[in-house]
Amino acid sequence: MNNDRLFATLAAVLGLVLVAVGVVYIALNEHDIPSFFPGHVSHPSSHHHVKHGIAAILLGLACLAFAWFRTGPRERATARP
Amino acid sequence: MLPVAAADQLITYFQAVVIGLLQGVTELFPISSLGHAVILPKLLGWDLNQDKPYFLAFLVATHLATATVLFIFFLPEWTRILRGLGRSLRDRQIAPGDADARLAWLLVVGTIPAGLIGLLFEHKLRSLFANPTAAAAFLAVNGLILFAAEYLRRRAPGAEERARELERAPESSTSAGSEKRLATLGYREAVGVGTAQAAALFPGISRAGVTIGGGLFVGLTHEDAARYAFLLATPIIGAAALLKLPDLIGQNGDGVRGQALVGALCAGAAAWASIKFLMRYFETNTLTPFAVYCLCAGVGALLVFVF
Repeated sequence: MNNDRLFATLAAVLGLVLVAVGVVYIALNEHDIPSFFPGHVSHPSSHHHVKHGIAAILLGLACLAFAWFRTGPRERATARP
Repeated sequence: MLPVAAADQLITYFQAVVIGLLQGVTELFPISSLGHAVILPKLLGWDLNQDKPYFLAFLVATHLATATVLFIFFLPEWTRILRGLGRSLRDRQIAPGDADARLAWLLVVGTIPAGLIGLLFEHKLRSLFANPTAAAAFLAVNGLILFAAEYLRRRAPGAEERARELERAPESSTSAGSEKRLATLGYREAVGVGTAQAAALFPGISRAGVTIGGGLFVGLTHEDAARYAFLLATPIIGAAALLKLPDLIGQNGDGVRGQALVGALCAGAAAWASIKFLMRYFETNTLTPFAVYCLCAGVGALLVFVF
């Protein structure tokens, strides 16, 4: 696997993870999100970290866009021997 | 004596008109809308608590109106840009010479950092600095930034080349010609100019001012820098307003929806007039008058609040 492919794969995986993290932030309240997530509180709460969620989804989409272009026709053509 | 909010009214209709007009003008002029929104009510002696949910709900309407007007004003550009974005996603590449697609991705790349910083720090910065004294000080700083942008413009890379191109080809003064020149920006430059928008989270620093200044710094003409700044501002202002729209529709909007509608109409009208004026103004003029205004208004307001 060449470096371009590796970068694209990593970006795609990271993008999917970030989108999933964003959905978790939006769907669950700050008490129910995993304890290692920034913004988690141990006491019961109904507050949702919507902004954290949007930020994570935005970053995730950026990573997915990077992966999408990285594996585009021009990149494939230049990678061919 | 200027009217103040009656006991049973959170914001009077007169205040809604004034704040709406103020928002529409100051959001697009490089003189900071947030700074003026904090300073002017204090100077007029209005007892508006700008941290209260009802006021934030009111502001959502004026911002949404401004973003809508910006989008409509640049609708032909946005149509081309969105088509370019679609083409590039379909082809999985930005075709050489496709200025619309490249400009679309420059706008995306420029919007992400400011959007992230705004999402994560807007509330903290607002609660720390949204007081009249700090806003007046930052307004003076905004004046200095505009002066610096004008000074550094002369040393900007590519500035002379772009100016010569504009002189050589009269058709390049059209919006499509402007887009082609904007598309010559690099991604690093786009990120830099876009990130500069985040400085507008400090009340008194103008989003339009720092992005136009950033555009000048990377070698754009005043007109191109203004066009890029307004294109860059549209998604950010619109998204921020849409994100807080539930405040206006929900309980927080109770008692201010009528005033919000009036404020939004005034903001929209003022924004339309402002953008028409500014696009013509920047064909031949500079940021210097705004720099002088910000410096004088900031220092003047600071003296009033401190002494």
